[in-house]
Amino acid sequence: MATFQPVLTRNYGVKDSHLLSVYREHGGYEALSKALAMGAENVVEEVKRAELRGRGGAGFPAGVKWGFLPPNRKVTYLCVNCDEAEPPTFKDRTLVEKDPHQLIEGILITGYATRTTAAYIYMRAEFHRQFHVMQRAVDEAYAANLIGPNIMGSDFKMDIYIHRGAGAYVCGEETGLMESIEGRRGWPRIKPPFPAVEGLFGKPTVVNNVETLCCVKHIIEEGADWFLGIGPKGSKGPKLFAVSGPVRRPGVYEAAMDITCRDLVFGEDFAQGLTEGEELKGVLPGGISMGILGGDELDCKLDFDDVRRYRLLGLGTGAAVVVPKRTDIRTVLLNVARFFAHESCGQCTQCREGTGWMAKIASRIASGAGRIEDLDLLVEISNSMGMMPGMNICGLSDGAGWVVRSVVEKFRGELEEKIKAQPAGAAERALRQINPAYYEGAARVSAR
Amino acid sequence: MPTIIIDGRHIECRERISVLQAALDAGLNIPHYCYHPGLSIVASCRLCLMEMKMAHPQTGELGWAPKLMPSCQTPVKEGMEVRFNSEMVASNQRHVMEYLLLNHPLDCPVCDQAGECMLQDYALKFGRATSRMVEPKHWNAKKDIGPHTLSYQDRCILCGRCVRFCREVAGTGELCVVNRGYRNEIDVFPGLPLTNELQGNVVDICPVGAMLDKKFLMSQRVWFLESAESVCPMCSRGCTIRVDHNRRRVWRLKPRFNPQVNGWWMCDRGRFCSGLIYDDRRLRQPAMRRDGSRVPLDWKDVASMVRARFEEAGKLEGGKQMGIVVSPFMSCEEAWLLTSFIRQVAPNAMFAVLPSPVRGEDEIFPTGSPRERAKFVISAEKAPNRRGVEKACLQAGGRHSSYEDLLAEMAGGRIKTAWIAAGSPESSGPSELIKAAGRLDYLVVQDYLGGVLSGAANLVLPMCAWTEREGSFMNEGGLVQRFQRAVPPPQGLMQDGQYLFEIAGRRGVFNAGRVRQMMAESGMAEFQAVHEAPVGPVHAH
Repeated sequence: MATFQPVLTRNYGVKDSHLLSVYREHGGYEALSKALAMGAENVVEEVKRAELRGRGGAGFPAGVKWGFLPPNRKVTYLCVNCDEAEPPTFKDRTLVEKDPHQLIEGILITGYATRTTAAYIYMRAEFHRQFHVMQRAVDEAYAANLIGPNIMGSDFKMDIYIHRGAGAYVCGEETGLMESIEGRRGWPRIKPPFPAVEGLFGKPTVVNNVETLCCVKHIIEEGADWFLGIGPKGSKGPKLFAVSGPVRRPGVYEAAMDITCRDLVFGEDFAQGLTEGEELKGVLPGGISMGILGGDELDCKLDFDDVRRYRLLGLGTGAAVVVPKRTDIRTVLLNVARFFAHESCGQCTQCREGTGWMAKIASRIASGAGRIEDLDLLVEISNSMGMMPGMNICGLSDGAGWVVRSVVEKFRGELEEKIKAQPAGAAERALRQINPAYYEGAARVSAR
Repeated sequence: MPTIIIDGRHIECRERISVLQAALDAGLNIPHYCYHPGLSIVASCRLCLMEMKMAHPQTGELGWAPKLMPSCQTPVKEGMEVRFNSEMVASNQRHVMEYLLLNHPLDCPVCDQAGECMLQDYALKFGRATSRMVEPKHWNAKKDIGPHTLSYQDRCILCGRCVRFCREVAGTGELCVVNRGYRNEIDVFPGLPLTNELQGNVVDICPVGAMLDKKFLMSQRVWFLESAESVCPMCSRGCTIRVDHNRRRVWRLKPRFNPQVNGWWMCDRGRFCSGLIYDDRRLRQPAMRRDGSRVPLDWKDVASMVRARFEEAGKLEGGKQMGIVVSPFMSCEEAWLLTSFIRQVAPNAMFAVLPSPVRGEDEIFPTGSPRERAKFVISAEKAPNRRGVEKACLQAGGRHSSYEDLLAEMAGGRIKTAWIAAGSPESSGPSELIKAAGRLDYLVVQDYLGGVLSGAANLVLPMCAWTEREGSFMNEGGLVQRFQRAVPPPQGLMQDGQYLFEIAGRRGVFNAGRVRQMMAESGMAEFQAVHEAPVGPVHAH
C-alpha cells in the first residue's frame, strides 16, 4: 500500500492540468510516439500481457476484447464510454476534467492498436463543464497534429468526435450507447452480433471506458511488467475509487485493488471515516447496481473477484456510497428501486415491469404500509429479472434486481423490524386507500 | 435439413430458422409476442426463453446452460438440444405473464381483441390466476393515431411489432416508442399520424387489443364470426385473404399467409373494401326494356330468353354480327361459361376483354425500395382477373380481338347483338361503350352498379359481389386462387355463375369446382389443382 504511487491522478494537483502545454511538460504524448514506434500488434500484445481489465464495471479483459475484431476489416470505430451514469460514480468525470489529454492519448494509442479510423467520446448529458474542457483539449490536439491525418508524422490517421448523450442511464450500456450515437432510441441491441464484429454503423467497434483507455496510456509508457506489479492476481493495475456519503473526505482516490472496503472508508489516505456523530450501516461499494455490503462485511477486498464472495454482482465502477446508521434502510431500498424503475429502457418485459413494480412496493414499504410478504415478493421479482445474470438483453435488469435482493437479504432483520413496528392495521388501511378495488377483490378471493 | 432435439423429441426443421420457428412448425405451442416471422427479431418480450445444452466453458462437457436463452434469436444447429418443459422455463413464463398483466386494464369484456387475444390465451396456459400487485395500475391514454387505427395504449405489452412493421415493411416508420420503463408507450410523432396504406396490418399483428381497427370497433365479438377463404378483388395482385362474416354480413377482411403473393399482409384499400358490397347503387334485379321503360324480370324467364335470342343471332353467318365483352371482374369459371356458350351458338362471334382500370403505378413497399427487395406490392391494375378471363376466353373461343377493334366494329354498325360484362365495384360500365352501344339491335349488360350503360341495355343482368359468389381469380403472376362464397347475395339476386350456367343450357346447381374440372378437361391444366393451392390456414394468427 505504502509503495503505491498514483498514476492516473498524478496530474490532478497540477495547475491548468487540462492544457496541452502543461500535459506536455509532464511527459505527455511520449507514450503515443512510443506506441507508434512499437507497431500495432505489439501494442495489443503489451496490453494483453498486462491483463488490463475494463474499468467500466464488467471487468472484461481489454486486450482480449480488441482481439475479437475480425482481422480483414476495413473500418473500425472506437466508442469511448464516458456516460458514467451509475449513481455515486464520478471517477471518469475527474479524468476528463483534470486530465483530458491523458484520455486523448489513451484513445489514440488504442485507436492505433485497433486500426481505428474514428473515435466517438459518448459523454453524459449532464457533463457540461467536462464537455467544454474535453472539446478544448480535442481542438488543441487537432491543432498540434495529434489527431487527424499523419499523426506525429506517421501514416496513422484518426478523428475524435464528442457525442453528448441526452440523459439516459441505459445509454452507458455499450450497444445502447451505439444506438444513441447512431441517432436512435438508446435500446441495447441483442447479441450476437457482438460490437467487435458488427457495432457502430454496422462496423467492427471497440467500446472502452474512459479509465480503461487512460490505463492503456500508462501500460505503454511504463510497460506491462510495471502494470502487473500493482494489485492482486486477476485485478492488476491502478484503479480509481470514489467515495460519497457522510464521510470526512469524500472524493476520488486511486489505489491498487488490494484495498478493502474498510480501508477505503476509514483509511487515513482515503475517506477518513464517517463524519462526527455518524455510524456506519452499510456500503454500496461498486455503484448501486452491484449490491450492498453490511457493516460486518467491510473486509471485502475491492477487486474483480473477491467481491463475489460477499454476494456482490461485481466490482462495478468502484464508487462507494456510505449509508449511515440513521438512514432508514427502507429509504435506501426505495431509492435504488426508484432509480431503476426510472431508467429501465422498457425493452425486456421483466425489467420494464419488474422495476416499476419493485419501486411501487418499495415506496409503500417506505411510507409505512409494508407487509412481511412484500419482502419475499421483492426477492422473487428480482430473481425473475435475472435468476442468472444475462437472461435479458442487457445487464441493467441484472443490476436492478441484484441490488434490491441484496438490500432485502442483508437487511431483512431491520426491514422486518420496521414493518412490525408499524401501527396495527396500517398496511390494510393503506391498501384499502390506494387501491380499494384490489383490496375488495383480494378479500373476496381469500374468503372463498 | 438439420435435426434438433426439443423436449426430447427429434425434430427435422428447415435450415436457417430460429429454434422458436422450428418448434412452432413442429406444432409446439411456445408462447411468444415480439417474434413475427415477417419482421426482424428483437427478442424483447422474453417469453420464449428456453434451456439449451451447451459445452461447459472450462471442461467442455455438454450440459444444460445455467441461464435461459431466447429461442427466437437462437438459430437451429444440427444436433442441438433444447427444452421448454422444464420448471425454470415455466417459471419464467409465469413471471412474464404476471408482469404483462400488471398494468394491463383487464377490460376484455369491452375489448375487440377478446377471443383472439394472445394475452388471454397465454395467461390461461402459462400465467397465474391472480395478480399480486396491490398498487394502482399505471395507465396510458387511448389515442387516435391514423385514419383506420386506434391505439389503446393501456393494453399495450410493448412487443414492438407495429413499430417494426412500419419501419421494415411499410418503410414509413410513423410509429415509435416514447418514454421509458413501465411508462413506455407506442406513439406517433406530433402532427405525423399513421398514414401508410398498410396500416391495417398493425391491427393484425398486434397480439393484444392495443391496435384496433376503427371500422370494426365494437361491431362484433370475434367468436361469432365465421371465415371464408377468399381472394382480394381490388387489384391484380390478388392477395390471399379471409372474409369474416356473421349473420349474412361481411364484417372484416383479413390476410392469410401466402408466400407467393402477399406474405402476411394486405393493403388498406383491399381490407376496407367491404363497404362496396353495401353500395346503394347496386343493381338489384334482372330487367328488360320494353317500349322504352324498364320492366323487372323473373329469374326463371331469363335463361330461356337469352338463350333464344343468342341462338337466333348465331344463325346469321355463324354469329358474325355478335360481339362479346368479357370483364376482368368476372371469375374464371363465369368467363368460361359465357364464352363457351357463345362460341357454341355463334362460332364467328367477336370476343374482347374489357381493359382493367389502371391507377398510377405499382406501389412497392417498403416505400422507395427497388422491386426486387419488395416486401409487398400493390398493383396499379385495379381488377382481379384479367389474365384469368383472357385465358378462359382463348380456351373457349380459340381467339379474341382487341377491345378497340370491337368498339370500332360496334360503332361502325357491323355488330348488331352484343353482350357487355362490366362489373367494376366502383363505377358502372365505361362511357365509351355507351356511344358504340347506341347502334346495336340487342344489348345484354352484366354490371354491378347501375348506370347509363345498364340503362341503355335491352336486358340487364346484375352481378354479385365477390363475397356472394364462388369461383377463382388468376392473379397477375398467373396464380389461380379460389374464393368461397361467404354471404348470400341480397334478396332478388342470383349468383352470376348460376344464371350463366343456366343460360349455357346446363342443368342443376352451379358449382365452381365442377366448372373448374370441366375447364381442366378442356385443356386448362392450371385449374386442375386449385384446391391444393398453397394458401395458409383460414385462421392465420
